[in-house]
Amino acid sequence: MKFASQKVAYWFFASAMLLFVLQLVYGFIMGFAHIGMDGLHEWIPFNTARAVHTNLLVFWLLLGFMGAAYFIIPDEADCELFSVKLAYVQLIAFLAVGVTAIVGYHFNIWEGRKFLEIPRPLDYLVVVDVLLFLANIGLTVMRGKRYTTTSIVLYMGLLFAALLYLPGMISFDNQTMDSFYRWWVVHLWVEGVWELIMGGILCYLLIKLTGVDREVVEKWLYIIVGLTFLSGILGTGHHYYYIGTPRYWLIVGGIFSALEPLAFLGMAIYALAMAKKGGRKHPNKIALTWSLGCAIMACVGAGFLGIAHTIPQVNMFTHGTLVTAMHGHLAFWGAYAMIVLAIMAYAMPLLTGRKLWDSPLATWAFWTSNIGMSAMTGAFAVAGITQVNLERRMGLDFLAVQHEIEMHFIGLLLAASLFTVGIGCFIWNFLRHGLPTDEALGADIEAS
Amino acid sequence: MLSKSQAKVFFLGGTGLFSAAFLALTVDTHRKVPAQTRQADITPAVARGKRIWEHNNCMGCHTLFGEGAYYAPELTKAVERRGKPWLRMFLKDPAAMFPNDRKMVNYHFNDGQIDDVIAFLDWCGHVDLNGFPAKPPLAEKMKATSAAPVVTMKPIPPIFDTMACTGCHSIGGKGGAAGVALGAPPLDEVYKRKSKAEIATWISDPQKIKPDTKMPKLPLSPAQVTEIADFLSSLGN
Ligand code: HEC
Ligand code: HEC
Ligand code: HEM
Ligand code: HEM
Ligand SMILES: [Fe+2]
Repeated sequence: MKFASQKVAYWFFASAMLLFVLQLVYGFIMGFAHIGMDGLHEWIPFNTARAVHTNLLVFWLLLGFMGAAYFIIPDEADCELFSVKLAYVQLIAFLAVGVTAIVGYHFNIWEGRKFLEIPRPLDYLVVVDVLLFLANIGLTVMRGKRYTTTSIVLYMGLLFAALLYLPGMISFDNQTMDSFYRWWVVHLWVEGVWELIMGGILCYLLIKLTGVDREVVEKWLYIIVGLTFLSGILGTGHHYYYIGTPRYWLIVGGIFSALEPLAFLGMAIYALAMAKKGGRKHPNKIALTWSLGCAIMACVGAGFLGIAHTIPQVNMFTHGTLVTAMHGHLAFWGAYAMIVLAIMAYAMPLLTGRKLWDSPLATWAFWTSNIGMSAMTGAFAVAGITQVNLERRMGLDFLAVQHEIEMHFIGLLLAASLFTVGIGCFIWNFLRHGLPTDEALGADIEAS
Repeated sequence: MLSKSQAKVFFLGGTGLFSAAFLALTVDTHRKVPAQTRQADITPAVARGKRIWEHNNCMGCHTLFGEGAYYAPELTKAVERRGKPWLRMFLKDPAAMFPNDRKMVNYHFNDGQIDDVIAFLDWCGHVDLNGFPAKPPLAEKMKATSAAPVVTMKPIPPIFDTMACTGCHSIGGKGGAAGVALGAPPLDEVYKRKSKAEIATWISDPQKIKPDTKMPKLPLSPAQVTEIADFLSSLGN
């Protein structure tokens, strides 16, 4: 840690972990509901559990991104954060909005559009809060002595994520147009600007952990985020096949979304190449493991499992089935959850001065959670493919098919338990670091 | 090999170009969607139905246009599949229709709200979705093995429509769309399998006789039960 103000990142990371745990609880509620154990239905019906599960996911990832920015930007810009007080205000306000939204979902208060369930008044608060965050980070960059590519890419990613939240707030009487703009948020986030954020964080970690020359790492960052936008913007068309929009989206979306995995493949090759080139000389090996794991799992979950159902002829049958849930889990885990855990694994020892990076617990956390999530993906895959064949291809009744695939949800719950053990290890290790302290100032270790 | 500044130009140029293309297609989509979605048919009832849909987050269990959750049936073609009388009855009390199955929330809708929801789903069912949902390609092959059914020529009393029987069962060669996937048999020859009394007890409360049956318990008065049982057993004369 170079600057005392970086300590604020800790509180963002800690809140993110808390919400992550809660997200998993609601995941289990849904998993059990799928096998008929829906005893909580009166209080937490499925739609409540689902909105809480996915909103908490987005919330903790955003908190993780913010924490990452508060840690990385002072270091990159080479100056203290513009205002630490503002960062705390912004954190508390963000948590308050999130908790209010989640409580509201238990009382049937929402907007009812998948992933954008937050009621309108809270939307405005989110926007104000994110503007505060962007101002704080932006003023830090401007005040600092250095404008690095890494910090610019990270900042642009965060800025455009905020701008793209706005189209999601336009409303129409026409369900098709509603859906059209919902994807400007959902798709252009995860397959566009969030990749900039991921790329920026990954780039920072690779520079720090592998010791490869900044110029080389950053050049590749441009090429990869270039590929992301080249394919991802028109790739939005893969959500416009079957919602009432013109037919040409089948061609535009089909072609460009099929190119999207290139960016993820590029990211994986780039991360592995840099790690090899640098010869892994930083003692914090587990942070590098998380970084490389992130690039690889993103390539599998988003790239490979994305292309598996993005061709219009395939999507006709998989659209809106558990096949989508399979892809959604591994993509979010690989690309975004893992990058947040990677920056935490790197930052925690520097914030607290406790170098717990080679504890067995840290290694366990990595492998158990990844094996667990891979097995969950497998369970969703078998359930999804069976659903597609029985319901969409043979024409059996929805509920009859759901009963046929219940056993795969038992598999899902077992895999999810393993995954949860892994996350438990991660959090336990996180807590063992203790609180951030000024004594850790200047204790950075660079890869040599 | 590219230099860093060339890589930057590639990034900025590509992003600019493809954003412009995306915006142009968005403008064109705005022009074409009203015709493709029959926007003129969005009556105040449809708009109200959509608001009910959103304010209760129905998408948190169901999919519509293939978007949403994977816990409950896809509803784009619900009106075509079930028919309006069936849906009206179902939405009044979802649990009564499928007592032992996956649960839907009972929203205690009044008749006006139910009409709005159905109007909304009906509008959705008529949007041109470029062929979604596809007709199940293997369904025909599976049916090809069964023999041609016997069909009664007698006029069918209106109660079969109003109580939604023809949503699931075919009779007189009509109806039955919603029942194909559930295995609801045609009613023309029930008299061969069930006596009048058996028909009456069955339709009064199917789950009492067969707890896992897909036939729902319908709100029939004793007089209506008798009317139906009389008619179905008379088909043998
Ligand atoms: C908690 C989950 C849940 C929510 C929320 C929910 N549903 Fe359902 N719905 C179901 C389930 C499960 C079924 C399947 C039948 C059953 O078991 O009751 C169903 C069936 C239906 C059907 C009949 C579909 C068919 O083809 O048989 C309609 C229509 C329907 N729901 C409309 C709605 C509307 C409108 C809303 C919002 C106001 C809604 N549902 C909210 C779970 C839900
Ligand atoms: C949701 C669809 C559905 C509706 C609505 C429905 N049924 Fe059924 N019905 C079924 C199914 C499925 C079966 C087969 C039940 C089984 O064997 O489990 C069935 C079976 C029957 C049988 C026994 C058939 C036989 O060959 O043994 C009769 C009689 C019958 N239904 C009458 C009616 C009448 C009368 C109505 C209207 C008041 C009605 N059903 C409404 C789905 C439905
Ligand atoms: C990290 C990146 C990605 C994440 C986090 C992600 C996540 C998701 C999620 C959550 C959904 C469901 C969205 C909804 O229904 O509202 C979805 C749908 C989809 N994704 Fe991705 N995705 C990513 C990348 C990709 C890529 C690269 C491709 C294609 C190559 C792809 C193809 C698809 C398709 C075709 C659907 C629609 C599924 C359907 O029709 O039901 N995704 N994705
Ligand atoms: C304890 C572990 C978990 C369990 C049991 C679980 C279970 C589920 C279930 C049952 C659904 C709903 C599917 C449906 O609509 O029927 C769901 C949705 C979802 N979950 Fe999880 N989940 C878990 C962890 C996670 C994690 C760690 C992530 C992200 C990294 C995640 C991301 C998502 C997403 C994005 C969706 C929406 C998918 C879509 O709409 O296609 N879940 N989860
Ligand atoms: Fe997408």
